Amino acid sequence: MLIDEQGQAGGQVWRAKDRSILSAPATPESRSGDNLRERLAASGVRQMTDTRVWQIERQGEHWVIHTLRNGAAGRLHSRAVILATGAREEAQPVRGWTTPGVIGLAGATALFKQSIRLPGRASVVAGAGPLVFFVASEIRRLGGTVAAVVTPNTRADWLARLPSMVARPDLLWRGGRWVADLMLAGVPIYWGHAVKSVSGDDQVTGVTLCRLAADGTPLPGDIGIAADSVCLGGGLAPSTEAAQLAGVAIRYRPELGGWVSEAELDGSTAREGLFLAGDGCGIRGAVAAELHGQIVARTALRHIGQASASDPALERAYRRASRFGEAMTVLSALRADPIGLATPDTIVCRCESLTRRTIEVEIESGAVSSNAVKSGQRAGMGPCGGKYCQSSVARLIALHENRALSEIAPPTPRPPIRPVPVSALAGDFDYDDLPMPKPAPL
Amino acid sequence: MIRLVPDHSARIQRTEKVPFTFDGVALMGCAGENLAAALMQAGVLHLRNAPGDGAPRGAFCMMALCQECVVFVDGQSVESCRLTVSSGLVVKSRR
Amino acid sequence: MSENHDIAVIGGGIMGCAAALRLASGGMAPIVLDRGDLGQGASGVNAGTLSLQIKRVRLMPYALKGHEEWARMGDAVGFRRTGGYTLAFTEREAELLTERQTLKAEAGAPIEFVTNNQILTAEPNLTRRVLAASYCREDGYANSSLTGQYYRGRLREASVPYRERCAVTSITRDTQGFVLHTGGPAIKARRILLAAGAWLKPVAAMLGVDLPVDARINTVSVTERMPPLLTTVIGHATGLLTMKQKGNGTILIGGGWQGRGTPQEGRGEVTADSLIPNLSLAQFALPELGQARVLRSWTGFEANVPDFYPLAGELPGVPDAFVLGCVRGGYTIGPYIGRLMGEFILGHSPEMPVFDPGRDFEKDAT
Ligand SMILES: Cc1cc2nc3c(=O)[nH]c(=O)nc-3n(C[C@H](O)[C@H](O)[C@H](O)COP(=O)(O)OP(=O)(O)OC[C@H]3O[C@@H](n4cnc5c(N)ncnc54)[C@H](O)[C@@H]3O)c2cc1C
Ligand SMILES: Cc1cc2nc3c(=O)[nH]c(=O)nc-3n(C[C@H](O)[C@H](O)[C@H](O)COP(=O)(O)OP(=O)(O)OC[C@H]3O[C@@H](n4cnc5c(N)ncnc54)[C@H](O)[C@@H]3O)c2cc1C
Ligand code: FES
Repeated sequence: MLIDEQGQAGGQVWRAKDRSILSAPATPESRSGDNLRERLAASGVRQMTDTRVWQIERQGEHWVIHTLRNGAAGRLHSRAVILATGAREEAQPVRGWTTPGVIGLAGATALFKQSIRLPGRASVVAGAGPLVFFVASEIRRLGGTVAAVVTPNTRADWLARLPSMVARPDLLWRGGRWVADLMLAGVPIYWGHAVKSVSGDDQVTGVTLCRLAADGTPLPGDIGIAADSVCLGGGLAPSTEAAQLAGVAIRYRPELGGWVSEAELDGSTAREGLFLAGDGCGIRGAVAAELHGQIVARTALRHIGQASASDPALERAYRRASRFGEAMTVLSALRADPIGLATPDTIVCRCESLTRRTIEVEIESGAVSSNAVKSGQRAGMGPCGGKYCQSSVARLIALHENRALSEIAPPTPRPPIRPVPVSALAGDFDYDDLPMPKPAPL
Repeated sequence: MIRLVPDHSARIQRTEKVPFTFDGVALMGCAGENLAAALMQAGVLHLRNAPGDGAPRGAFCMMALCQECVVFVDGQSVESCRLTVSSGLVVKSRR
Repeated sequence: MSENHDIAVIGGGIMGCAAALRLASGGMAPIVLDRGDLGQGASGVNAGTLSLQIKRVRLMPYALKGHEEWARMGDAVGFRRTGGYTLAFTEREAELLTERQTLKAEAGAPIEFVTNNQILTAEPNLTRRVLAASYCREDGYANSSLTGQYYRGRLREASVPYRERCAVTSITRDTQGFVLHTGGPAIKARRILLAAGAWLKPVAAMLGVDLPVDARINTVSVTERMPPLLTTVIGHATGLLTMKQKGNGTILIGGGWQGRGTPQEGRGEVTADSLIPNLSLAQFALPELGQARVLRSWTGFEANVPDFYPLAGELPGVPDAFVLGCVRGGYTIGPYIGRLMGEFILGHSPEMPVFDPGRDFEKDAT
């Protein structure tokens, strides 16, 4: 049984189109995605799409997967579970990043793949690694205007990564074409720069850029650019919450996107019958994710007693793909001081509108762990569950306490993994059927 | 001008537009389109007000995690980036 | 290298912190040690209900004093005196309500029985299916997540040192008193107060004392911000529901439904088999809750001994060692019983009797 909260299988990289799209030119991603969905349909794998997993529990010999679909809760029992929950996008808080019209950089790819829509009429595209050029190129392909490309990476950073990229000449070629097209079109590319602030009240009107020193600190000399939308990326981070709730520990691996779930290469974890695949155990890119899925499926099959030999060729291919993916992840983290551009009045926690200053005051008053800041100021208690502030909060603690990021664990994740309506959990029930335990002693 | 990346915008065909409302304002969107995308396309970016400072907010992550795009449909709060447009859909903001 | 203190408090929950503050004001030099952050145990994750209607009859005088302490702490802990209703939906629950609340009223809590009309005027969003209800004007809530922040501030003001991420792993004795071994430098103290909540048993075992401490694992949930639906604290005749809407609009739901896990394992899990009936009961009481989304559910460990009365006094057989914990409704009573414990250790005669940890737990303590 394949469960996914999206309307169709495909995940982030191979996200399927909305039903509103009758026809559109194929792209490498749409082709791979359609191919995958065809193979899935032919395989007989049962699929539960539009289904959110909100909790995972171990009961006896089984895992119980609690689902939410069409406003109703359900549960599935299984001897083996593979969590392939992917990644979330990191964000870099800067003044005005909460203005409507600012969307995530990876998020923009979802908009392109699913709805084939543009974020606005003239967009600033900002972020690290190859994604920023992909997004800018897609905006051009869909008829939009790229006001500027802004990336903390320098051309030298890219050159230094060339050796790990020659393994994938196809991707190198594709990326080279994106950049060349942007240059031909006269789109300004700001290498070694970052978005410092976004202006606009109820919609983006422009951004201010600054140049970055090698360590990511902003240099003087602001550049203003008019735009009605911004695609702002801060790299990807593994989604570890589901695995953590199932009892899997996390470890800090900055080269893999930050805190990653602890799993072996074959996907096995410290919990019996629980396996991890893909971005959730480290950001290694789409190619590696697919190969990893194949490896982990074999492990899970063996667990339920079906013969399935491990395949050394597959593992070699996975290692090769991982090297490329890891190089891109490292590039995506390079020269980007994710908190350095936040001014004291910049919002860090979007859900609770908490500024950098508020969080720093809390840290100075002695809240020197992510959980303590969460308790004291609610950073992480809002509806996103801390997904978009936890890295910033950790960095602020590290900065103030002069401690390593590896010592500052994210806040304890809490179920539900996604918000769940009370009515969906309660369902239709008879009061007299509620299993009421005996009351406490008088 | 030479383009290495072709412009595909004219080659995208969509379903017919159907009416829906956002806070009582009549809008049109393609049937079956992601609601957050359709609202964005219709120029509606300001979907809710933040707690605390009351500042305008709109869709951000586009992957149903950040909860910035949450709206009310049928009395229930839902991420607009997980809904699709249908004829007569009534969407209310949490402003 | 080691340091010397008049007393080391093991456990920076509400019990340990409140006692340390009283000890400091009485002239002793305490140090507070916690293996995590201050107030991240039960004291920081509880439902924050300050309700006399759910207190044990014999603990009522302590709870009444506790309410006075909370009123003094005020905004810094998110204290609100809202009044609270306890509801019964069936005949059996109505009987239970009448019997229990009558005894609590006799013990000094200002509890009265109210008519359906009174409730529906005060809380129009509650279900019409209330059969009987009681009201206590003294009831309210505080924000338990602020426990750590609050006590860090108070300890700093009082110049009481505290150490976080400092687990006591073993305790030895020397001529001056106790030597507490932690990951870092050892800490020396003339006396010790064990206030380790649900972890009292392993800590007392470090001194060779077997305390019959067990733990319950209670579940709490919170919703997203909602329009105003409730103004008071809502309880249930069985105690299996507590519900309040905070100033920010979120609704907090508790009631002591059991999760899975033990303090030894360190990790508690929310189980759907408890969470679902807990939320169903809440939605039954407040139908519009159905529209709210639950954002977070969590568990915490609440310690108890077999007679469900506190441990507050000398650790049996170990001179200069004291223990405080296992207080039912311990968030409400904590600031007060912590103060009493401080007075006891200072050698003053406390305002109200403490609870001998050496008692026979199988005997009915009343
Ligand atoms: C927004 C976004 C866009 C990206 N775009 C690209 C791109 O264009 N090109 C590229 O090379 N890489 C892209 N990446 C990186 C890409 O995610 C990985 O390289 C690759 O997709 C990893 O595959 P995966 O299967 O591990 O995770 P994913 O593809 O992310 O798949 C995870 C799946 O789990 C589902 N899921 C997660 N939690 C739950 C839950 N609780 N209940 C139910 N379902 C759940 C999700 O809906 C998703 O379908 C993107 C990442 C993100 C976050
Ligand atoms: C979920 C839940 C809901 C509740 N709801 C309410 C309510 O609504 N109203 C109410 O009045 N009461 C409520 N209670 C009860 C109340 O929270 C507790 O009685 C009270 O907080 C206990 O305080 P404590 O200081 O004894 O324990 P804790 O707060 O648990 O503190 C013990 C501390 O000791 C530390 N520690 C443990 N071992 C060591 C070691 N070896 N070295 C150093 N430090 C150590 C721990 O880290 C911890 O911080 C609830 C309890 C729970 C769990
Ligand atoms: S845009 Fe983030 S949840 Fe929809």
